[in-house]
Amino acid sequence: MSLPERPITILIAALGGEGGGVMADWLMEAATAVDLPAQATSIPGVAQRTGATTYYLEIYPVRKSELGGREPVLSLTPSPGNVDIMVASELVEAGRAMANGYVSPERTTLIASTHRIYATVEKMQMADGRYEADKVVAAARELAKLTVLFDMRKLAEESGTIINAVLFGAMAGSGALPLARERCEDAIRKGGRGAEASLRGFAAGYDIARGSRKPPEQPAAPKRATELADIMRLADERLRDYQGKRYAELYRRRMEPFVRGDARVAATVARHLATWMSYEDIIRVADLKTRASRFERVRREVGAKGDEPVVVIDYLKPGIEEFASVMPAPLGRRLVAWAERRGKLDAYNIGMHIKTSGLFGYALVRSLAWLRPLRPSSYRYAEEQGLIERWLGYVAEAAKRDAGLAYEIADCARLIKGYGETHRRGKGNFLAIADALIENPPTAEAGEQASAIRKAREAALADPEGKALGTTLGKPVVWMKPVKSS
Amino acid sequence: MERQFTKEIESLRLAEGATFHGEGILAVTKALLQSGVSYVGGYQGAPVSHLLDVMVQARDYLDELGVHVEACTNEASAAAMLGASINYPVRGAVTWKSIVGTNVAADALSYLASAGVMGGTLIVLGEDYGEGGVVAQERSHAYALKSLMWLLDPRPNLPKIVELVERGFELSEASNTPVMMELRIRACHVRGSFSAKANRAPAISKRERLPGPPAEFVYDRLAHPPATFRQEKLKSDVRLPAARKFIAEHRLNEVFPGAEGELGIIVQGGLYNTLILALRTLGLADPFGASRIPILALNVVYPLVPEEITQFCASKRAVVVLEEGQPEFIEQEIATLLRRADVQAKLHGKDVMHMAGEYTAEAMVRGLAKFLGEHAAHLDMASGAQWIEAVGGTKRKAAELLGALPVRPPTFCIGCPERPVFSAMKLVAQDIGRPHVSMDVGCHAFASFEPFSQGNTLLGYGMSLAAAAGVAPLQARRPVAVMGDGGFWHNGLLSGVASNLLNKGDGVLIVMKNGYASATGTQELLSTPPEETRKQAVGASAVHADRSIERALAGLGVKWLRTVNNYRVSEMAKAYREAMTTDEKGLKVIVAEGECQLERQRRLRPQVAQKLKRGERYVRVKYGVDEDSCTGDHSCIRLSGCPTLTVKDNPDPLRTDPVATVIDGCVGCGLCGENAHAAVLCPSFYRAEVINNANLWDRLWAKL
Repeated sequence: MSLPERPITILIAALGGEGGGVMADWLMEAATAVDLPAQATSIPGVAQRTGATTYYLEIYPVRKSELGGREPVLSLTPSPGNVDIMVASELVEAGRAMANGYVSPERTTLIASTHRIYATVEKMQMADGRYEADKVVAAARELAKLTVLFDMRKLAEESGTIINAVLFGAMAGSGALPLARERCEDAIRKGGRGAEASLRGFAAGYDIARGSRKPPEQPAAPKRATELADIMRLADERLRDYQGKRYAELYRRRMEPFVRGDARVAATVARHLATWMSYEDIIRVADLKTRASRFERVRREVGAKGDEPVVVIDYLKPGIEEFASVMPAPLGRRLVAWAERRGKLDAYNIGMHIKTSGLFGYALVRSLAWLRPLRPSSYRYAEEQGLIERWLGYVAEAAKRDAGLAYEIADCARLIKGYGETHRRGKGNFLAIADALIENPPTAEAGEQASAIRKAREAALADPEGKALGTTLGKPVVWMKPVKSS
Repeated sequence: MERQFTKEIESLRLAEGATFHGEGILAVTKALLQSGVSYVGGYQGAPVSHLLDVMVQARDYLDELGVHVEACTNEASAAAMLGASINYPVRGAVTWKSIVGTNVAADALSYLASAGVMGGTLIVLGEDYGEGGVVAQERSHAYALKSLMWLLDPRPNLPKIVELVERGFELSEASNTPVMMELRIRACHVRGSFSAKANRAPAISKRERLPGPPAEFVYDRLAHPPATFRQEKLKSDVRLPAARKFIAEHRLNEVFPGAEGELGIIVQGGLYNTLILALRTLGLADPFGASRIPILALNVVYPLVPEEITQFCASKRAVVVLEEGQPEFIEQEIATLLRRADVQAKLHGKDVMHMAGEYTAEAMVRGLAKFLGEHAAHLDMASGAQWIEAVGGTKRKAAELLGALPVRPPTFCIGCPERPVFSAMKLVAQDIGRPHVSMDVGCHAFASFEPFSQGNTLLGYGMSLAAAAGVAPLQARRPVAVMGDGGFWHNGLLSGVASNLLNKGDGVLIVMKNGYASATGTQELLSTPPEETRKQAVGASAVHADRSIERALAGLGVKWLRTVNNYRVSEMAKAYREAMTTDEKGLKVIVAEGECQLERQRRLRPQVAQKLKRGERYVRVKYGVDEDSCTGDHSCIRLSGCPTLTVKDNPDPLRTDPVATVIDGCVGCGLCGENAHAAVLCPSFYRAEVINNANLWDRLWAKL
């Protein structure tokens, strides 16, 4: 008989703790049980902790008994263009497999879960550093011979098991594996612990790959207000809730110069203005933390079942800035100025663990929310409104020259967010850009100015410690506090 | 220890004729017992950790056989252990990760190789070269050459590896020379099977002891002048020829014939499988290894047997040597041998292959295509060219469609006690400026990746403080050295601390006291907390129960010494700031205390499951982020990097940047809250205590 030219090769890309090793065991067991020559390798070690790791298997699809004592020489290392089944437990890992050449249109069945586990570099940016995952799905359709893509993590959760069982099922269901379903299930059973749950996950994955069961629904994309009318309606609700009707009217007045101008500029100003005007001061935070809806959400997020009691403890650490923020403006200004001079802005923060779910803690936090009527006369209010007016002035001025420039300036409001040090830093970055590129622009050409502002803003968002922004602005942005002599 | 080897220990007991299924490195372990070793030692490190780990766990069985097992504190002590085979006819084996382990062991190895051995000695090296390698990239081969020790590089196939272990001991005895066996990462972890033999209880053992030392004093067994001069001559005059004779007689190297008799490939045994794949891709081999080009697979890469080389090359027009890494030791030796014997075959090697780095199938296909293109134009290698072109095309297309993908280096585990220390360091650096950070080997080296991105030097295991010795006097700002407790006991206490004290150095040392050599699989250390305390602590940290690190430091004379609970970020930051800024001269040591979270969770998980099963009260802690007060600035992530602290779409339709969120898997270590406090980050973090199987009091309280 003529024997196959090559073994069936399987490469599994997993993250630490997803049971990739167990899956390799199942495959070895199933292949060995039917007398197929098989070999598995891996590169464990520290990569297995939390990083990306791989398992590689080769199965020669002819029983040993039919080979007359000959043994196939199986490879220990996957090579590009030579993979029959590429398994990825996460979407970007599927992308990595493609980038490394392990998925080829002539040969590879790609089986991957579409959920995302974000890498640290994606999470740590000031703005949105997430990789556009849709690219992976699009590339998979183009580069793989066959794809089985769905949210296997969700399915695993529904089946009460971990993702490896679902991936194994999808692999068997794809038809690319030289092993019958029963053999695979036997291997899982032989593995012992948790076999029942794994078999459920396996069956679900198998059926979806076969097309006899629908994959789990994708969660709806987040709702974003993009039309000016929508934004202004939401802003109105938000600011009424934040400070009352008159405050919402202030918002409308501020928007007037923009509503009939360039649509993109108007929408951007409207969006940032709404969130800026509802800045997160101690009053706002106290209010948000003591709403009934918040406790419901916490229960949901921590997965509390039925009537299980949940104790919620909040971590608050108000300091000079927070106290000053609710003081009458002149008093607050003097306090902050004093603290800044002495480098004591962060020196007197009081760390509090408040049991907001308890009677006393709730009353304490709620009482802060009741300070709302005092807000318009507070120091922080005066500061924020001043900066808002300045920003609006920049945008309005630029809009007369060029809509593109106005847009870039409007979007700089994105830099100001967070609390404490982060907020100060964001504000500092905003002011640095305003100083270097808006008030004293190195060029009179609107297009060039707009592009310089965009670059500076992106640098500040990608690297909040300010090194990249300093490079972009051509002068260092130093955020190191002066060394205190001890 | 991280892994339980219950099943593997069973397979170590397999009797004659039974089939062993398992990993390469465990096949080596079984082969050691089949060879009748009397003692085994080593130091853990991927990819050879399992050899020692399984032996340590199989202590009862090894006691039955009389085999002594020692988990050494470093590779030098492991190498020195082989000294037992100098005077006594006992077989011994040790293992470690190479190149680093061999470097540490080198001193003892030189003396061992000089004195020579009576009993067979085998050193199993986890050759951490190429893909997945986590240490400096160098070959172990140089050690074989300079000490005249023999080096095996078996074909990565379990029966062959097992055979070479057994033959290795015989070779060692036949030539009175220690033998090393290098196993690449994937060979250690390859899963296959072999037909087992019965284990041999050693003739001299813990159960069958020798009455005492040798009857006579034999000066020549000491590696000490003048004996060393004689020993140096013995190596080349007697031991080397004896080894060559044994290798040739027992056909340790393999010749695979092929139709193209005028050509030949000489390959390191460990690369054989990749070579067959490359030849198959070029259309020159079948799946069973039948090649058109004759192959000489060197299962022994040092010494070479001159006659084997000249015979293989004698009637050939050209041969190519496939030897991974630099420099091309084997190729150079072959060139000398061929020249001396006046064999005219043209020699290729590094001229068609790259010098540094791994030999992948892709690299071999390209190299062989060059070699064969020059010497065998009649061969049809179109399939190889097509393959290379297709791979290039796919990669280009993927790059175009995908752009740059986010990197995903390994990072600290969920709830790792080392992460808060780096949070504190990052916070303090914002105030006093970034110091020179001397890094060490261990989990804490992950702090070189985002979000901490720190570290200026890495000079080896336990070397961080020593590596700062020259920096401290030359810099206005004090340098800081970070070291794990693994590194501390391996080398750091003497090379770092003692040297610093002797020289009245200034500087700061942070010792991560997590209780284990965690990166290699949580093996026990001298300072591992007592078993009893760990049992009682369940999910809490137990490392406070052992003070041997502090006692050692105080005993040596460290005056400024603080032990700080890692998770108290503010306290850690305070101690660190003080250490960095105090006027007090001398070494300042912070012992950062927090038990490895892997060990804590391993104890906790079964207990929680039982409690819940029995319907007992259990408080589950999870941290969370309020999505409406989170502004999406991610400063918390830049201070943590915990896998469970991540981002999700912003629920606010007016905002676009994602908000922070804590996902399932959070072990409630508390760092999020501590960071929020220490850095005055944001008020969005909360701690939720979910009470499972609540009692009446809980419910009443919850109602309030």
